[in-house]
Amino acid sequence: MATTTARQTPTRPPAGPAASQRRGRPARHKSDGAAGYIFLSPWLLGLLTITAVPMLMSLYLSFTNYDVLSDWESMEWVGLDNYRTMFTEDPSFWHAVRVTLVFALVATPLKLAAALGVALLLNRSFRGAGIFRGLFYLPSLLGGSVALAIVWVNMFNRDGAFNSFLGWFGIEGKAWVNDPDFALGTLILLAVWQFGAPMVIFLAGLKQVPLELYEAASVDGAGTVRKFFAVTLPILSPVIFFNLVLETINGFQGFTSAFVLSNGTGGPVDSTLMYTLHLYIKGWNEYQMGYASAMAWVFLLSIGLVTAVIFRTGKFWVHYSDGED
Amino acid sequence: MTAPKSFAHPTRRRVLSGLVAGMLALPLALGACGDGDESSGENGNVELSFFWWGGEARAELTEKALDLYTAKHPNVTFKKTWQANQGYFDKLATLTAGDDAPDIFQIDDNYLAEYATRNVTLDLASYQQSGKLDTSKFPKGLIEYGTVDGKLAGLSFGENTQGLVYNKTKLEAAKVPLPTTGQSWEEHIAWAKDAAAKTKVAGTQDPSADYKAFWVWLRQQGKEMYNGNQLGFTKEDVQKWFELWKGGRDSKATPTPDVIHEGNATDVTKQLVVTGKALTSWVWANQMPELQKNTKDQLGVIAYPGDATKQWPRSSMYFSVYRGSEHKDTAVDVLNFLANDPEVGKILGTDRGLPSNLDIRTQVAASTDNPSMKQTIEVVGELAKNFGPAPTVPPKGHSTVRSELIKAAEEAQYGRATPAEAAEQFFAASQAAISR
Repeated sequence: MATTTARQTPTRPPAGPAASQRRGRPARHKSDGAAGYIFLSPWLLGLLTITAVPMLMSLYLSFTNYDVLSDWESMEWVGLDNYRTMFTEDPSFWHAVRVTLVFALVATPLKLAAALGVALLLNRSFRGAGIFRGLFYLPSLLGGSVALAIVWVNMFNRDGAFNSFLGWFGIEGKAWVNDPDFALGTLILLAVWQFGAPMVIFLAGLKQVPLELYEAASVDGAGTVRKFFAVTLPILSPVIFFNLVLETINGFQGFTSAFVLSNGTGGPVDSTLMYTLHLYIKGWNEYQMGYASAMAWVFLLSIGLVTAVIFRTGKFWVHYSDGED
Repeated sequence: MTAPKSFAHPTRRRVLSGLVAGMLALPLALGACGDGDESSGENGNVELSFFWWGGEARAELTEKALDLYTAKHPNVTFKKTWQANQGYFDKLATLTAGDDAPDIFQIDDNYLAEYATRNVTLDLASYQQSGKLDTSKFPKGLIEYGTVDGKLAGLSFGENTQGLVYNKTKLEAAKVPLPTTGQSWEEHIAWAKDAAAKTKVAGTQDPSADYKAFWVWLRQQGKEMYNGNQLGFTKEDVQKWFELWKGGRDSKATPTPDVIHEGNATDVTKQLVVTGKALTSWVWANQMPELQKNTKDQLGVIAYPGDATKQWPRSSMYFSVYRGSEHKDTAVDVLNFLANDPEVGKILGTDRGLPSNLDIRTQVAASTDNPSMKQTIEVVGELAKNFGPAPTVPPKGHSTVRSELIKAAEEAQYGRATPAEAAEQFFAASQAAISR
């Protein structure tokens, strides 16, 4: 999210003395701050009541045996027990970690590759380009929806559309979604297919590449491939970085499709037991909300760690052009 | 730049933030402790919230029955909420956590003990003793089956029993003899193998992941699923059960694992006998009318294999009153009305199982013109003559035990574990689940 805010800061309210100063710190007036907070208040209120307070509460709950149903009074402080159980006594926890890692590590690069590939194709101007952009973006819009996951399940059933398609070539399909060897793969495919959102961002990025650079490269005798690696990729690297961070986080949070595909169980035989799904089952099916809260915090820290690692590596491959003007 | 992002994945975020949002309601719960006062009740206007799961048809019937109560008691109105099975218990738990549970809610034995042992449900025993809740026409087993730790946690709203449903049309077309009550398990598997060979459809759904089939089989071996808060069986029992069905799969009496997995869904519309992927399904007998609706073939129902007297009258579902309700007496009176009023009996029929009140059950049986409903009543009635005593209501953790059984049985079905390994896994997991 850090990138997000960084990218939003240049937009300032157009009115007021600050607007006249294009760069540097705006002159400070007391009333400015107040007005700012008043305009911010709906968002601040939301942040406090539906994000900050519940988050702190879940941190507190993660040290208790809170079970959702019982009276508040019967809740006990159990210290680090939930965390200890998670790491030492819950085999499903480690299984879920593995499933989630496989999902995120396979789906994210594939999705970004697909997004970039299609963005490159759609970057040319041709008749109906807008329609194609819209069509490719569509799955992303429907991405989190339950309906799409249901369609997916039906498509990849043993007697689903996908196997009929294979049948034309004389290939006998599998029961993809009902086979523990393939169920997760089906989910990865669904995630990859929803590459529309990063694609749109890539398209915007591609529009920013100065044409002079390509011309200069041509003059130097670079071919298409060389131009892509020497010009497009470096210029695009901040955008790739941005997409990588967001999509990695999204990948780790994969939930809906796994939930729908397995009826909320993580089956067949735990093959789609994503971390968030395990957390959900612990909290809402087994009423171990304290434990689920602990899982959520471990999750938050892990994603933070992964994001930090990506930021670290970014130094080596992300090139920012100087200045904004 | 970020706008399309946050658009793209609303649900994932919503689920996570929903988790925490639920907790927000908690401080509110702190303030509203003390038990409700009834003095304002009887004459003033009362609105009771009423929550159940089920399909459209059940919703219509239930609303009609509640409207009848309002017609007779104009000061009492209802806030009716219903939804499909999926997500029902999540919502109920959230409402309970916020101290906002419905005054009356539907519940089943998967969760009755969870709610009762955590003191969410009102103990109905005193109402029963004072006669305000009339259970004199109920079979004794049904009352016992709603009793947790000596408290009457829910009023049974229907009786059913395990039933083996078979596809009569397909079997008769292929001239396969129909299965009969009293076959042994081995005979049933042999029959299924023969039927599969003749019809080219798997003979029987492999029920090794089905807790109710496992339970009946255990009782026939002189064991129980639970003894109080302990498991009533051993690792070896589970292994035998898994091996029995490994034999069934090996002899091609059952479908392939992925099809079995489809049938393991609790959804009635996905039962293999309905989707045409197997000739039998292991269900609750009261699901017959619902199953019949989903297929053009004629269905029949018998008892599970083995000694049928080891089956038991099970309460298909209950209504419980929230302990924190402000109108407990009225709520109990509504339950009494729904369970015992003949007019209501006519409206509700066997939708939630056979009516608990035996007089009403007779009346419904005489007046119904739905053939599969008639058949169900007959079969359950026939079996009930020999029923043994019902086990106690399953303990807290039962729903986890159920999902662990599915997990372990599927390990064996997909050939990822031997029956012995799967049995060991299930035994350890269920022990952990109920001792928590």
